[in-house]
Amino acid sequence: MVLISAVRDYVNRMLQDISGMKVLILDSQTVSIVSVVYSQSELLQKEVFLVELVDSISKSKEPMSHLKAVYFLRPTSENIQHMRRQLASPRFGEYHLFFSNLLKDTQLHILADSDEHEVVQQVQEFYADFVANDPYHFSLNIPSNYMYMLPAVVDPSNLQHFCDRVVDGIAAIFLALKRRPVVRYQRTSDIAKRIAQETSKLMYQQESGLFDFRRTEVSPLLLVIDRRDDPVTPLLNQWTYQAMVHELIGIQDNKVDLRNIGKTSKDQQEVVLSSEQDAFFKANMYENFGDIGMNIKRMVDEFQQVAKSNQSIQTIEDMAKFVDNYPEYRKMHGNVSKHVSLVTEMSKTVEERKLMLVSQTEQELACNGGQGAAFEAVTNLLNNESVSDIDRLRLVMLYALRYEKESPVQLMQLFNKLASQSPKYKPGLVQFMLKQAGVDKRTGDLYGNRDLLNIALNMARGLKGVENVYTQHQPLLFQTMESITKGRLRDVDYPYVGNHFQQGRPQEVVIFIVGGTTYEESRSVALQNAINSGIRFILGGSVVLNSKRFLKDLEDAQRTARSSTNLV
Amino acid sequence: MATRNRTILFRKYRDALKSVRAPTGSSPSSSSGGPVIELATSSLLHPNRSYAPLSTEDPGSSSRGALTVGLPPAWVDVSEEIAANVQRLRPKMVELAKAHAKALMPSFGDGKEDQHRIEALTQEITSLLKKSEKRLQKLSAGGPSEDSNLRKNVQRSLATDLQNLSIELRKKQSTYLKRLRLQKEGPDGVDLEMNLKGNTSRMEDEDLDDLGFSEHQMAKLKKSEAFTAEREREIQQVVESVNELAQIMKDLSVLVIDQGTIVDRIDYNIQNVATTVEEGLKQLQKVLSLLFSLLSCFFFFSLFPFLKFCFKLIVHPLLSSFFPCLCYAGMYWTQQAEKTQKHGGTVMCASVLVIMCSIMLVLLILKEIFL
Repeated sequence: MVLISAVRDYVNRMLQDISGMKVLILDSQTVSIVSVVYSQSELLQKEVFLVELVDSISKSKEPMSHLKAVYFLRPTSENIQHMRRQLASPRFGEYHLFFSNLLKDTQLHILADSDEHEVVQQVQEFYADFVANDPYHFSLNIPSNYMYMLPAVVDPSNLQHFCDRVVDGIAAIFLALKRRPVVRYQRTSDIAKRIAQETSKLMYQQESGLFDFRRTEVSPLLLVIDRRDDPVTPLLNQWTYQAMVHELIGIQDNKVDLRNIGKTSKDQQEVVLSSEQDAFFKANMYENFGDIGMNIKRMVDEFQQVAKSNQSIQTIEDMAKFVDNYPEYRKMHGNVSKHVSLVTEMSKTVEERKLMLVSQTEQELACNGGQGAAFEAVTNLLNNESVSDIDRLRLVMLYALRYEKESPVQLMQLFNKLASQSPKYKPGLVQFMLKQAGVDKRTGDLYGNRDLLNIALNMARGLKGVENVYTQHQPLLFQTMESITKGRLRDVDYPYVGNHFQQGRPQEVVIFIVGGTTYEESRSVALQNAINSGIRFILGGSVVLNSKRFLKDLEDAQRTARSSTNLV
Repeated sequence: MATRNRTILFRKYRDALKSVRAPTGSSPSSSSGGPVIELATSSLLHPNRSYAPLSTEDPGSSSRGALTVGLPPAWVDVSEEIAANVQRLRPKMVELAKAHAKALMPSFGDGKEDQHRIEALTQEITSLLKKSEKRLQKLSAGGPSEDSNLRKNVQRSLATDLQNLSIELRKKQSTYLKRLRLQKEGPDGVDLEMNLKGNTSRMEDEDLDDLGFSEHQMAKLKKSEAFTAEREREIQQVVESVNELAQIMKDLSVLVIDQGTIVDRIDYNIQNVATTVEEGLKQLQKVLSLLFSLLSCFFFFSLFPFLKFCFKLIVHPLLSSFFPCLCYAGMYWTQQAEKTQKHGGTVMCASVLVIMCSIMLVLLILKEIFL
């Protein structure tokens, strides 16, 4: 709840002291930030009767001086230019400006200069600069996410933009929580180090006054890690509800777009999947596919009962009761059709792409041993006609990540087979990925085969057997969280920034994955928080990945790297 | 959660820059003097701004500036009227609840005033709701514009309030109805029972006094019948008002947003607004250009017989050539406006259309007078 309620509190405070009819003006980023936590009907209750984007509002010329304008923007230079133009010819009666992050002095000067008519009543910084998808999971929706894979020399200015946005987002999280953390980062990742250092500089030197909060006994921890330390999780197919919907269809800002998928009825073309507003989703978002099916069936049966009782209307009393319950009935109907259409769509995809078969091999590649068996399984699936190109690519990547060093000959065979069978496959992508995230580049013990303790644990788990073959994979994040809980996060692998040192366990931990998080990891975090071990984890990333997005980032990075080497 | 107020700093910069821009002291409140004095007076003019970093100030107090807060458009009055009605309705609902409770309590006497009171209150509330709902329909604007989106949202918000009130009223009425029915069984049942008992006992004891006792019983029966009839009437009335409310709710439910659906998302609504406003303007301009072309055809065909009579008058020859030019000018303007997508273009076209119609009317009148 903590992230969602923080952003909601900010929005409430923006609107509560301003009376009368208001218009809320947002930019393309803050629209996402506000939309995931606040609904249109809640805005109407607060007398906000119009919502506009800051770039489209300049096209219209009607003056509406009976409205008070509330601007909530990111403090970027484009937004400041928009503000300049709009303040020069004001359309509304009053202007209240809220920025989602720190304003530079020059920007404040520009705003003050353009406010000739003195319509601006207040300028405040409200640090809601992140998209709170779930109570303990946030994202920054950075478009050019792939920049993190490239060395700084390739495109220094874009990389600087990326880092700035990340630092802004992390700073906003801590300002919203009113904490100043101790910063640790993953040693092997340059970009994680850079971001950690810049964040620390901001919090301890540049704006140390702003971040000077009441200190708790043990400071909270910010851990900045790199996606490439665990490239397996985004490549895997998922079988728990939220992660599966994102993997097979795609969730953006808690919305699912069903327009391109088959034929859906008009009001089901875009649906909202929010754990705050949908009780069924909240109860089932981390359940696996089989259980979801049963729960949905139960929900449909309940609904049919209600519908049947609504059919038999005989007395006036029945009629009155029907009219009374109609809003509830309509809401229930909408909810049931939403979940039924999602699950139908996913079942269809699972059938078409033979995902049960593919996923079994994927999970074995990710979890168990047996190189020979793995090679055979992958070869069989590559030969299988009904397996799609993207699934073939993922299988080869997973195999390569695991058995990179063990038998290069067989690996080459797989590469060749992949290239010959998948026409759209861009050659060298798997090799590029190995260069980025190969075993030499990784810090964490991804397969549990680095130290004896982990090997023993793996063997024990193997002997015990797993409950469900399809959900046996635990992301690396789970082990990291366990180490933090036990206070055993190694300084060698995850050094501190500056000379802060932490004794004992922190009570709040924010883990930021540069390159993006996955819903499987956010599920891990939510389940860990539910255990109540005394530590509260919050997870965030530059985007929320699924396998398509991760592969796209790899392709974009490869293309940019190649074009830059061509130039050089 | 931390926030930072930059308003003080902003005002300081604004005043400093303003004095740099207009160093001869253009603001009326400053005394004669250079920029230094002006800076001092302008900072003194805001003595009540607090310096607490988390303060939220009352923004309504200061509105000095070149932009005067304009009068809101007429529909705002309608929306305010409806909002005032909603405010009036709430205490009335509380009163109604009290009256219901009082009427249901067992009391001596007829309880007729209670019934009247309940009826009157219910009527008042229902009529207020109906009136508000009718006014609400007026808020729907014709034609897309930013203003229309605003009106739609105001409409939605008021519709939600009205719907909640009518749901509350219905619930209250149905519980009252239920309890009333229970009560109706109660006293009648007891009465009948007593009657029967009285009947049998009396019958057993005194068979001779049939006339007297049957009169007594008849009176009792009549009384209970009257009582029953009255209760029936009340129930009928309540049912009628329930049906009325159901109708209102049906109308309102079209306007209200379903919570938790995609329609309730801010980003979805922003996307839709942007597309509809553009499309609406295009449609309007298409219609206008079509209208102009039709008019020009009409003028041509209607003017030919006129042209024969035209030679008699001096005025006609001039106008008959003037008119088609006007038509074509109008069409040209419409097409230009379509290309540049200016608001002003459509307004101009509409005014030209009106002028041309009026001139045509004048022409016809003149023709009648002179021929």
